[in-house]
Parts: sequence; structure tokens; C-alpha cells
Amino acid sequence: MRTMTDAVFTLTGGQVRLDGREVLSGIDLRVEQGEVLALLGPNGSGKSTLVRALLGLVPLSAGTREIFGSTRFRDWARLGYVPQRLTVGGGVPSTVREIVSSGRIARQSRFRFTSAADRAAVTRAMTALGISHLARRPAHLLSGGQQQRVLIARALAGEPDVYLMDEPLAGVDSAHQEALAATLADLVAQGRTIILVLHELGPLAPLITRSIVLDHGRIVHEGAPPAPEGDCAAPGHEHVHPHATEAPALLWGTS
Amino acid sequence: MSGMFSYDFMQRALVAALLIGVSAPAVGTFIVQRKLALLGDGIGHIALTGVALGLVTSVSPVLTAMIVSALGAIAIELLRTRGRTGGDVALALLFYGGLAGGVLVTNFAPGGSTSTLLSYLFGSISNVSRQDLYAIAGLVALVLAVLVVFGRELFLLCQDEEVARASGLPVRFLSMLLAVTAALTIVVAMRVVGLLLVSALMVVPVAAAQQVTRGFKVTIGLAMLFGVLSAVGGLTGSYQFSVGETNISPGPAIVMVALALFVLSSVAGWIVRRSRGSRPVGSGAEVRT
Repeated sequence: MRTMTDAVFTLTGGQVRLDGREVLSGIDLRVEQGEVLALLGPNGSGKSTLVRALLGLVPLSAGTREIFGSTRFRDWARLGYVPQRLTVGGGVPSTVREIVSSGRIARQSRFRFTSAADRAAVTRAMTALGISHLARRPAHLLSGGQQQRVLIARALAGEPDVYLMDEPLAGVDSAHQEALAATLADLVAQGRTIILVLHELGPLAPLITRSIVLDHGRIVHEGAPPAPEGDCAAPGHEHVHPHATEAPALLWGTS
Repeated sequence: MSGMFSYDFMQRALVAALLIGVSAPAVGTFIVQRKLALLGDGIGHIALTGVALGLVTSVSPVLTAMIVSALGAIAIELLRTRGRTGGDVALALLFYGGLAGGVLVTNFAPGGSTSTLLSYLFGSISNVSRQDLYAIAGLVALVLAVLVVFGRELFLLCQDEEVARASGLPVRFLSMLLAVTAALTIVVAMRVVGLLLVSALMVVPVAAAQQVTRGFKVTIGLAMLFGVLSAVGGLTGSYQFSVGETNISPGPAIVMVALALFVLSSVAGWIVRRSRGSRPVGSGAEVRT
């Protein structure tokens, strides 16, 4: 079933229940191609669940989801997901290059050997994230910010049209946040669509074309990105600071 | 020593040990990567019921063990994904059910005492027949073929299941495939080291390898080498040291060699890390949080 639109995601009346608890409800969201959408809101407001619902990783208990106008989407190479992880995971040491290479999986059919194009995409992704010099290191021994960049590079290596990134700035120092912003700006210039779960806009602020604020599983604000305000010391506020001296550009209040 | 492999039964035992030494750690690397190191033990317990069913019905115990453990592996996967709370308890129930069921069913076998089970619990590599060897070789080829064809997908599945799903991989099929592959490996290896120790050959060489490795491919290769060294070393050692009344069982000897390799590898890894210990990880451009 295809509709006559260019929408990347269309969620209509989306509702998600996990363990009997309503995590998202009444979500109507349409994401157009080329948008840079920021999902904001306090901890536990349903931002990550919304991303996972868009990807079909959690089932909708009500409502409908279309990806590129299709309810039975199969072209997974067009989507790149950067999950929120404390570590890259796995019980066996894996090098940074091995993990980034696994991002090519949707483009590599089962019986095809790794090609020069695959290797070039992996190298480009590692260069973009400034982790080329770590390629042969075991990923689980890297710092939190470095592991985060490995996860982003894995998505980048797949060269998708759409990126969904859950807290991509978490633990990343300010210099590499700037570098990530530049990488994302390139992707935007190529017409890619980016959905970001963010706690603070930081250096990504100029890229964002639309923001959505969630609270208790509902969309409570939608529109242009809110202007910077507040400070880190707000009650109940918690986030991972970049290692920078200046205050972060914006923190969406968590009160 | 040169004389020991002049016996037919020792030649067959050596080939069986080599085949299992290669395949068990290869599957084991993916299982450990998935943080399911004890999966093999669970499947081994369930396989015992399969062996018992074979004894009772006079069908080949290896065949029935294969069927029952494959079904058990699928059941474990379903319990793991469906059951949220108490998933580990559900698994424990299955393990104990498999072990107790195996012993009880054996009681009904014609002239079957539970001592028949001992050769399956602790292995009987010196009784491997030519037919057994063909079956082992076939299954090992199948297991290795699965890992070669699906290895790339299994790596991502074991590394990050959610991203595997978001990449469009058939996560449920791959999970079942890995569990069934593990089950087949266990049934093959039960002739060599026995069901109670079979999981050791899947896990210990991997644990030994990752003391000194940085990457997945190197780990899988080194684990296979350690597996072969353990299998051959344990088999040879048990033959050499079986003198007079003392009869050393090959299965436990193989596992002890694997554990010794783990200790050696740990020491080697410690020395390597110490010698480059002062070098910080990464560029130094960022402060660790």
C-alpha cells in the first residue's frame, strides 16, 4: 500500500504499551524528507520509545505507521539507527572497524563478499567521526564518548537516507560534538533526513528545522526549535556534560 | 607416542577430537558474544532426555538427542524472548527437567540401568565407530557452513540485537539458527567430552582466546586453535598417562587442557597489558568521564 507522498514516516494515532503501561499515546507525526527533527522532553517522556516505534522495534497497540508510504516496509538499508547504549555491547572483544563494518549489513546480501565499496564506506564513516586511529582497538575498552562515536559511525557506514539517533551527543566531548555537527551538516546538504533525540541541542542547534517536545508520552509542543534558556542547575536536571568550559546552548527543562 | 595412533580406534578418536576442537569454539564464540555462555549447558541437559528416548526406543541415541536438543534449543529461545520476568527460572526448569527426564526415561530402557548414560555424560571417544565419524564430519561441515554463510549477520545479532532488527535482519530466524547450530554441536561433541562437559569446549577456548585478542575474527580463529590443541592434547595425554589400573578419561582431560590454556593465556594477556599499560586508550584529546 503506497500513498502519494514523500513522507519518510507517518504515524497516525500512535499508541505504545509496554508491560501494560501506556508509554506513548495519540502520536500524530509526519516526517518529511530532508527534515532535521529534534525530539525533546524530560527523561521517561517517551522520546526513545517514539524512535523505536517509528522503526517498528516496538509494536503499536493502536494507530498506524507508514515508512516511505508503505505499511510493509522492507528497504531497511534506507534507515540508519543509532541506539542509546552505555557500551557497544557483546561478550567477545570486537575492534572498532569490525563494529563499524557491521553497519553495512543491510547493503550486503548473504552470499556477497565484502567489496572495495564496503571498505571505502567504512573508512569514510570512521574518518568522519574521527576514530580512524582507533580502528584496530577493542571497542569495549574505549571511553564512553569514543564508543558513542563508534555507534554513530556504524550507522554512517550503511549510507542510509534517514538517520535516527538517540542521544548522539551523550558523553561526547565538545570538540567532537562540533565535528559531529559538521558531519550531520554534510548529510543534510545531501538531502538526508535526520531524527535526533536530544537532551541539549548544543552545536546541533543551527541544523534543526523542527522540534517536538514530548511529556508523559504525548506531544506537548511542536514547531521551531525553542530558543536557548535556563541553565544546567535547573531542579531535577540531569544530562551528560561535554568536557567544555562554556555552558551548553540549551537544556529543555526537566521539571 | 608414535604407536598410539597405529590403533584404528585411536585414529578415529583423533579425527573426532580434531573436528570437534574446531567446531565447538567456533559456535561458542558467537554464543559468548551473545552473553549466553551457559546456553550449551542447558542444551546438554535437555539432550540427555533425547539420549534416553533413543535407548528406550532402540533408535540411535545420537539421532534422538539431535531432535530433542534442537527442539529444546528452540524452546529456550522462545522462553528467552517471550518471558520477561522469570526467564532464567524458566530456563532452569527446562534444564532440570531434561536431566531428571533423561535418567527416569532410561530406567524404562530394556535392561537399561542409568550406568548406560555414563558414556554420554562423560564421553566415550575411544568407542567412536566409522559410521559415527561420518556423522560427526557431516554435522561439523554443516555447522561450519552455517557460520560461514550467516556469520556476518550472526555477528550483528550477537553484538546488538535491536540494531540487527532495525537493519532488517530476520532476527527470530537467526536466533533459532544459532540455537539449533549450538544444539547440533553439542550432540556431536557429546561423544568426545560428554554432555556434562560439552559446554566447556564451547566456552573455555573462547574465554582463553579473548585474554589476548582485540577483535572478533582473531578471537574466533585463536579459539579454534585452542580447541584443537585441547582436544588433541587431552586425548594424547589421557592415552599416555593411562598405565596399568589407572585409566584416564579423555573427555575431562580435554577440558583440563583447555582450562590450562586459559590460565596461560590470562598470564600472557596480563603481561602484554602491563607492558603497554602506561599508554592511554585513544587520542588523548578528551577526558574520560
